[in-house]
This record gives sequence, C-alpha cells and structure tokens, in this order.
Amino acid sequence: MIVEVKDIHFAYGKVKALQGVDIDLPEGAVGLLGPNGAGKSTLIRILLGFLTPDRGEGRILGYDIKTQQSVIRRYVGYMPEDDCFIPGIDAVSFTSYLGELSGMPRQEAMKRAHEVLFYVGLEESRYRLLETYSGGMKQRLKLAQALVHDPKLIFLDEPTRGLDPQGRKEILELIKDISSKKDIQVLISSHILPDIEYACSYVVILNKGKMAAQGEISKLKEIGYNLFEIRIKGEKEGFLRKLREMNCKTEEREDGIIKVYMPFHQSKQEIFKIAAEEKIQVRHFVKSQSSLEDKFANVVGVD
Amino acid sequence: MTIKEKGYTHWDGELSERRFPWWPIARYGIKLTFKKKFFKPFLMGSFIPAVFFLVGIYISERLEDFKFMTREGTSFLKVDPRYFNTYFTNTGLLLMLVIIMIFCGASLISDDLKHNSLQLYFSRPIKKKDYFIGKTAVIVFFLSLLTLVPGLVFFIMKLVFSGSLKFFLAYPWLPISIVGYSLILAAFFSFYTLLLSSINKNRRYVAILIIGIYLASDIFYGIFYENFHSQYFSLISLRANLQQVGAVIFNQKTPAKIPWIFSFLVLCAICLLAALVLKKRVKGVEIVK
Repeated sequence: MIVEVKDIHFAYGKVKALQGVDIDLPEGAVGLLGPNGAGKSTLIRILLGFLTPDRGEGRILGYDIKTQQSVIRRYVGYMPEDDCFIPGIDAVSFTSYLGELSGMPRQEAMKRAHEVLFYVGLEESRYRLLETYSGGMKQRLKLAQALVHDPKLIFLDEPTRGLDPQGRKEILELIKDISSKKDIQVLISSHILPDIEYACSYVVILNKGKMAAQGEISKLKEIGYNLFEIRIKGEKEGFLRKLREMNCKTEEREDGIIKVYMPFHQSKQEIFKIAAEEKIQVRHFVKSQSSLEDKFANVVGVD
Repeated sequence: MTIKEKGYTHWDGELSERRFPWWPIARYGIKLTFKKKFFKPFLMGSFIPAVFFLVGIYISERLEDFKFMTREGTSFLKVDPRYFNTYFTNTGLLLMLVIIMIFCGASLISDDLKHNSLQLYFSRPIKKKDYFIGKTAVIVFFLSLLTLVPGLVFFIMKLVFSGSLKFFLAYPWLPISIVGYSLILAAFFSFYTLLLSSINKNRRYVAILIIGIYLASDIFYGIFYENFHSQYFSLISLRANLQQVGAVIFNQKTPAKIPWIFSFLVLCAICLLAALVLKKRVKGVEIVK
C-alpha cells in the first residue's frame, strides 16, 4: 500500500473536516472524489504534513505522516490546485530551483528541469518569464515542478482545472503515462468524474468528511442495477411513478433522456408494459453502461 | 500546444539532505535582487560614503603629503572608534540601508503570499526555519556589503597604511564592535523588513511601509521633542535607537541622554513582534476557519 491512514480526524475550529477516515491506497493511479467540503484537500494537506491530524495515524510509502514528514516530502511531488509560481524567473529556473529545494544538486536540477519541461510540452517556452504564461501553461509547469525530483508518489490537486478540452486531454494523457509506464504512483483529487474515470483504476469517494466508498472503479461501477436510457412521448408522471413503485430509480436529463436503474431481478419488458398501460410511446430504448458518475450520485446523494 | 515526446526518464541520482537547506532560497533571492531595475546603480552609489571614509583613513596616515589640502583642520581625520561610529551610525548610511531593504526585502515574503508559492516551498523537505533563514540571508548579504565588509576593510586598511599594529593594540575590541554592530543592524533590519513583507501581498505597499515607518518614527520623535523637550521620545525613533546602541558598542557617548538599554529593548521588542507575526503569517496552507 502506498498510502495507509487509519481513523484520521481533523477539525477547523468547530467545523469537522475529517471524521474517522480510513484509507488504503494500492499502487497505480488513484482518484480522490467528493463534493465541495468533503475533505479532499484537507486529506492531501494532512498527507503532505501541512496539517497535523487531531487523531489517527498514517503512513505514506512506509513513512509515518506525523514524525517523518521531511522524508515523505522528499519522495512525494505535489501539484497544487491554485496558481502558484515565483515571479521574475523563467520556467527552467523555477523548476530547477524547486528541484534544488527537494535535495537535488544544482547542476542535476538544471538538467532535470529541461527534461521535465520537454516532457510536459513546455520546451519552446521554457525561457519565458512565468508572468507571461497562460493558464494551461501554468498547469503544465505545476506538473513539471512536481516531477522534477523524480518522486515516487505525486499528489495532483485538480490537475485539469481551467484547461480547454484539448489541454485537458493532453494533461490526462500525461498523467496516465506517468502512472502506467513510469512507475510513479499518482493520487488525483478532482471534481471531474470523467477525468478520474479516464486516468485512474482505483477511487476513493469522500462525503462530509467521511469515507463514502473506495475500491476498483470497475467493481464500484457494478451498482446492482441494469441501466436503460429511454425517450418517451406522452404524459410521463404516471409512467415514472409506476417505475418507482417497481423499485426502479429514475433520473431525467436535460436532453429529455430518462435514465432508469432497474434491479437485476426485474425484466426490461416491464418498462414496455407500463408504457402501454400509460399510453406512452417509447421512442428510444438503449441498455447503457453505468458510470462512475452513477456510483458517485448513489453514495453521495447528489445528481 | 502538443506533447511532442513522452521522454520521461527516471533520475538516477540520490536526493540528499542538504547541510544548509536554506542556501538555494538565499542564492535565488540575491540573484533576483540584482535583476531589479536601478538596483545595481543604487548599490554602487551606496559605496560612495565607504570610499570617502577609506580615503580619510589613507589621508590620516599621510598627513604630511596632504598638508596643502588639510591645513589646520585635521581633527576629523583622527581614526579611532569614533570614526567608525560615525560611519556606522550616520543618518545617511542608515537611510541607504533602508532603501536597500526596499530593493531586496520588500518582495521576499509578499510575493510568495501573492503568488501562493509558500505551498511549493513547504511541500519540499524545507522547514519554516530554513525558509526564514534563506530569506534573512538575502537581507544580511546586502546589509553586510555596506556595514560589515567596509568596517573590516577600514580596520585592515588602517593597519596596512600605518604599517604597524599600534592601532590594533590600542583598540583590540574594535573588530568585535564592528562585527557586533553589523549583526545588530542585520538582525533588526531583517526582522523589520520581513515583518512588513509578511503583512501585505503588494510589494509596492510594503516598500512604502518600510521607508514610511522609518521616516515617520523620526518625524514623530522630532515633533514630540520640540513640544515636550524630553529625550525619552527618542525611543520612538528607529534611527535614534540604532544610533544609541551603536554609540555604546563603539564605546562613545550616546547621542540622547537616556539609558541605552531602553533603546536596545525597543529594538528587541520590534524583533520579537516580528517573529510572532511571521510565525503566524507564514504557513504552507491558508486556513479559513
């Protein structure tokens, strides 16, 4: 296990941010999901040693989070959520400077800074002042500085924040490459479920400071229902009511599609029977795959 | 922008625990200060008083050669602890040190707060102590260029020009005074500058505070002294307190007729306040409760 925490409690004054969180994260890319205020950032800050937990214990890469913070920080990279840089210097100086602070010799840090800036696609603008960088370039730069000292584990806090679709795709490709081929463990905190689904194989869902679910994404997606997407014409109230009476969950999308979560023991023929009873036309009927979003909505209780 | 090559390779070196983890912070701070507009000409200009004092030391040893210039007025060329005290505590030099602080110190913490870079430092194996030492080293470096270095050069050159150890034997404690007062100036100005740099994210505003508080404290001293004729009001002047302590260290009569320890305590109190504020303001994460 790369990260093991047991019974972690943390409060900001009277506000309880984490209440007895237990996590065991395996190797590979792990997603940390949760709505705003779930405690994701607090957990990352505790793992990095910025905050000391009120209760509980934990280990990262085998090092104690309370007593060996300095060693942990040497082997961990961190890509913060906010824009952060040092004004007045270029990307190469910035990256090598942070490499030096991690314990790299000066010459090695400079050489390595060039390598990681090439890797994240900033080779052409590596001598530009950071003040002139766009939002997307700053995201890449933050990833570069997290990688410069060749960490064993990196924490990525909202890595695709503020990126256009193409930039987002490229960053996700990089993250996938790092975690799958470069033998670096990755923990990604994000609100964007498709990003986690694309880049990670394991997920931890936090809600209101507590663990809501954790496990392999493929297994978590097995939510105990068949999922059908249908489009109908006619009065839908009675139709939806009868479906719910059969223990089906329904969810209406903005584009008019109705998602019907039907328990395994029910037959899809029942949907057509109800439609016939309610004199409704079924104009579209597809068996769909359940997504991480479905699981997230299920455990967190939001759409 | 496309990813042209996914050429990530592992680094085969060993991450080591630095003996002085603050050294990269100090080096980058010094480097960035030299890049600032008008800093180099100003720093060069700040050496002018030191050059004059050095010339004074040379002339003091060659009075016969410079008789046509000095005529009768040679008393100011007597090189003794008072000469050193005059250099270290003159109002011009202290003001120049404050201006140097604006160049090298105003942005030291304020820029890190503005650009959220504290979390980048503290996600590395850097302790708060290392961060502060690194930032302080930047200030100490530039202050030393105008205090410790000229002071020691004056002393050595006096010995060289005189060609004997008479001066050293007469004032063996003088090098210690030079180092001691330079350290006091460095410590006070470091705390003072870092305190102001940590309370605001705008470096221009911090620069105004650095010079503004220094001058305002002196102006208020003047106003109160004129009205109440009590030298105890010198305690509110940063300049007067520094001069008072300097005079004691160089074994001279204090400019204000009040116990020097009061001035020393005022300076210590400012340093203590700064330490408390810095401890509170500089954190890896900003916690909004």
